[in-house]
Parts: sequence; structure tokens; C-alpha cells
Amino acid sequence: MSFVTVVIRGLIRRRTRTTLTLLGISIGIAAVVALVGLSRGLNKSWAAGMKARGTDVVVSNMTSSLVPKPFNATVRDRIAHLPHIAGTCTLLVDLMSVENTEMIMVSGREWGGFAWGNLKLMSGRMPNAAQEKAVVLGRTAADVLKKKVGDPIQIETAELKVVGIVDGNAWVENGSVILSMPLLQEITGDQDRINVIDVRLTPGTSRADVQSLCEQIDQLVPEARAIVASENLNQSEISRIVGAMSWSTSLLAVLVGVLGVMNTMLMNVFERTPEICVLLALGWKRRRIVELVLWESAILGLLGGIIGVFIGVVGVRLLAATPSIRGLLEPDIGIRLLAVSVAIAILVGVVSGLYPAWRSSRVTPSQALHG
Amino acid sequence: MLESPVLNAFEAVGLKKDFDDGAVQALRSLDLQIPEGEFIAITGPSGCGKTTLLQLLGALDRPTAGTLVFRGVSIPDLPDPSAYRSREIGFVFQSFHLLPTFTALENVQIPMLETRMPSAKRRDQARELLKSVGLERRLNHFPSKLSGGERQRVAIARSLANSPSVLLADEPTGNLDSDNAAMILDLLVKIQQEKRMTLVLVTHDDRVAHRATRIIHMIDGHAVSDRQTGNGVYQ
Repeated sequence: MSFVTVVIRGLIRRRTRTTLTLLGISIGIAAVVALVGLSRGLNKSWAAGMKARGTDVVVSNMTSSLVPKPFNATVRDRIAHLPHIAGTCTLLVDLMSVENTEMIMVSGREWGGFAWGNLKLMSGRMPNAAQEKAVVLGRTAADVLKKKVGDPIQIETAELKVVGIVDGNAWVENGSVILSMPLLQEITGDQDRINVIDVRLTPGTSRADVQSLCEQIDQLVPEARAIVASENLNQSEISRIVGAMSWSTSLLAVLVGVLGVMNTMLMNVFERTPEICVLLALGWKRRRIVELVLWESAILGLLGGIIGVFIGVVGVRLLAATPSIRGLLEPDIGIRLLAVSVAIAILVGVVSGLYPAWRSSRVTPSQALHG
Repeated sequence: MLESPVLNAFEAVGLKKDFDDGAVQALRSLDLQIPEGEFIAITGPSGCGKTTLLQLLGALDRPTAGTLVFRGVSIPDLPDPSAYRSREIGFVFQSFHLLPTFTALENVQIPMLETRMPSAKRRDQARELLKSVGLERRLNHFPSKLSGGERQRVAIARSLANSPSVLLADEPTGNLDSDNAAMILDLLVKIQQEKRMTLVLVTHDDRVAHRATRIIHMIDGHAVSDRQTGNGVYQ
């Protein structure tokens, strides 16, 4: 038997209460894992999509919406001649409700542009012409929409045909409905409007040259911003809003966890006051009693953190598989996020235990001789 | 041949203890000397200050006035009262106060956790102590599975865990039937004599008190009588 035994026995003596408290912390930590994982996944999915398309610099106007604001297609002519630019490809992307799906990425790509190059046909064929009433579906989008090659598909009022299923080598690409940009412009009535210019750079372009190019583009195109592809979504307001909301919601959930643990530990201390008096009478130091309470709450936090991480990972996988999210973003749950979540849980435990521990240190040992 | 002088374990002079800002005077200028190795019974009606005296002797509380010393050291001025309780004092309570989620063997080890004793030695020592109180067959029983007498024997074993020099017992037979009470009393007397311990026992029961070598009777915070019983002091 050791001090740890005393700590563990303290926790298991009220199994139901301990279990409920663990559940409270777990849900808070699961919220941290799920919300932060999803918001980080949003950034990662966009970056992966651009990487898959071979994009080095993105020219777009990511303000406070999930998709960039449209601008005139002639913008491309203003930048195409700049040094270090090997090629450009214009896109019109939008989040749309397609048939029974609440929201799916619809990606109109410049006919013949390099953004088609990363798509590997899994079945069927690519569209034959810019005006052909045809789409290809990313493999996840095909699952979500329950479509196969040859099926009709309705986008807004246009009746199109699924001619191929493709693997885009990125979550966001696989979750997209892909068609020629002129066709999408016609469907949405956005003729001559685009909202993304993918820019490929000449090999060997230095970081300083990339930076300089972005500045030149910003000067030439005031209606959009040029950003290195990997930083694109991180720079957007919506990304920051989503990040802030996910952390603030998580912190609220964590706060509920703190109150839960504090309540449990306070009840523990009140209930065990006679026992604490006896321990003091038997020669235990007050510091040791404080350690006992803090260890109990820290272990509650640790266990709650581990369970919460598990619930969070499973939950976010289930969430990402729901029709409304599936294909739009890939949750980004790295070891670091899990470790931070468990650390937060332990901190929750320790912080929650501080007041009960202080209360326990105020107990008068003479009470041991009463009753 | 000269006898060695008897040293006092405790000395109290003008000891006072008030509660509720003086509204309750539990001890009123008590003078007391308790020699090492003596078995003293403190008797008196409820509220006479018996338990308060025990609390002060065990450094569980501080006196309002007066001096109280243990082997020449002022108890209220002890820098670390918990260390004093851990090393010098063993408590035996009326309600046993065993920890319900620990076995008899574990309960006896609880005071030892404040020492640097290795866990194997702690366990062996606890086993020996339980054997010495006749509970070698009940080592792994939880308190709820023990009789009242057995629980008090575990509590006595626990009070001896760190080999204290003083046992403070508060109505140790108060919650026991007469057979168990007699057995517990015999055990306490045996331990006190074998280990040459100072035993201060608070009781309402005259039969219990008469097993002591000396009886101090208290009323309203005063010691109204202090007499030898003729049982003799172990030296």
C-alpha cells in the first residue's frame, strides 16, 4: 500500500459520482478534440486540395465566407505575364445544395486548365467539351450523392450527367462536383466571373521571389489577394472566426468540466471531513491532505482526458461521415492536439481541486475526537 | 540503591481552554503532571473538559492560556504538531474511526505513510501489530466485516503503528459490549505495561477507570480529585 492507493481508494469509494464526473470532463475534452480538430481540418483540407492541384499561389478574396468572393475573369490577364509565373488556371468554386445534399463543393474549372490534371479517373470519362452538360464526381461526392457514371444530376435548374468518378488525391477534391467553368458560370449566371486563380510558379522560384510576386499581384489586383497556397485559408477571416468559435465553445465545455470536478471534490472533502480529521490526528501533515485532494482531482482530469480524447476522436470521425459534412473537410486530429487535450484535462483537474484542497487544509483535527 | 527519578511526560500549569470567545470554558486553570509510563484515567461528567484535555495533550488544539509541555517542550509552540502526533502520540477513538475502504492491514499502515519506511517493512510491521492484538486471521477484512471489538483492536494496532510513547484513548470501550470492553481494556493495559507507554484514558466508566494507576476526576473544567488506585506505576 502506498499514498497512491489512498488516492485511488478515495476516487472509487463513490463510483457513480466519480463516473459522472469523468463523463463531464470527457465531454468537455471531446468537444475540444472535435471542434478544434474540425476547424483545423477545414484549413488542412483546403491546403491539401490546392497542393493536389499543383497550386503554388492562390489569388482570391477570402473574406468572411466559406468560399471566396467572385471577381472579373479578366483579372487573370493582368497577372499572367508577371515573372516566375509558369501558368494560371481560373476557377469558380461554390458551396451549393445539390439534389438532396445540403452542401457540397461545386468546382468549375477553366476548360483545359491544369486544375484538371490531378484528377485520376476511377470510372467513366472526363467531359469532352467545355459546354458538354457533364460533370465528374470526386469519389466521396459520388458516395454522398449516391451517383454512378451515367446518372443524371441536377445543379440548380440544369440537368447534367455524371460522366466519370475521379480520385483527386485530396479530401476536398474527392468531395467535389467538378465541371467546366463556363458551364458552371452559365448555370449560376456568373458569366465572366471567377473567384480563384491558381498560379503555378517556375521551378526554383525563391521564397523571396514568391513574396515579391504576391506583392506585385496585390498591387495589380486590388479586388483580391495573392497568398502562398499553404497559407491561404489561415489568412481568411472565416478561418479565424471558425478557429475562435471552436476554441471558445471548447473552453465553455471545459469550464463545465471544471465546475463538475470542483463540485465532486468539494463534496468529497465535506463528506470526508471526519476522515481528514482522523488522518491529521494520526500524524498526517496538512500538506499531505492537500496533496491527496489535488492528486485525486488530477487523476480525475487525466482519466477524463483520456476518455474524452477517445470520445472526441470517435465522435469526430462519425461527424465527418455525416452527409452534411462528408467530403467537405477532413478532421485534423494530430498527436499534438490529443496531448494538449489531455494536458488541458489534467490542468482542469488540478485547478478544480485547488479550492477543495484549500478547504481540506482548514479542517480542525480536534473534530476527530467528536463522534 | 537509588531509584531513578520519574520524568514527567506532560506538565500543565494554569491550563485554560475557552470556546465561542469565552462563552464556554472547557478547562479552567488546570494543573497537572503525568509521569512517563503512567496509566491515568480521566473521569467526569459530559462537558467537564476530559476530551478537551486529550485534544490539547495530542496537539489537536491550542490552549487559550497556561502552559502545557511534553518532556519539557511546549506543545502549543511545536513547530510541527503533525510530526509530534506521528512520532509520539497514538490515538484510540470511541468510534474506532477506521477508514472504510481499507482493509485492517491497510488501516494500520495509514500512519506509517508519513514516515519513510519502505512499503514491505510497513506491511510486515502492520502484520505484526495485528498479530499482537490477535487479528492475524483478519488482516484482509474491511472494517464493515469486523465486529466492534475487532475494529477497536485494529484501531489499537493502528495507534501503535509508529511506536509512540503515549497512547491517548477517548472512551475506547464506550461503543462495546461488556465482554469486548473488558478484552480491549486488558489489551490496552497489557500494551501499556509491555511497552512502558504513558496511557491517558478518558472514560465515564468507573470499572474502566479503576484499572488505571491514577484517576483524575474533573468537573466543570477543574480537576476535583487526583488519586492513586493502588494498581502501582510501572517503572
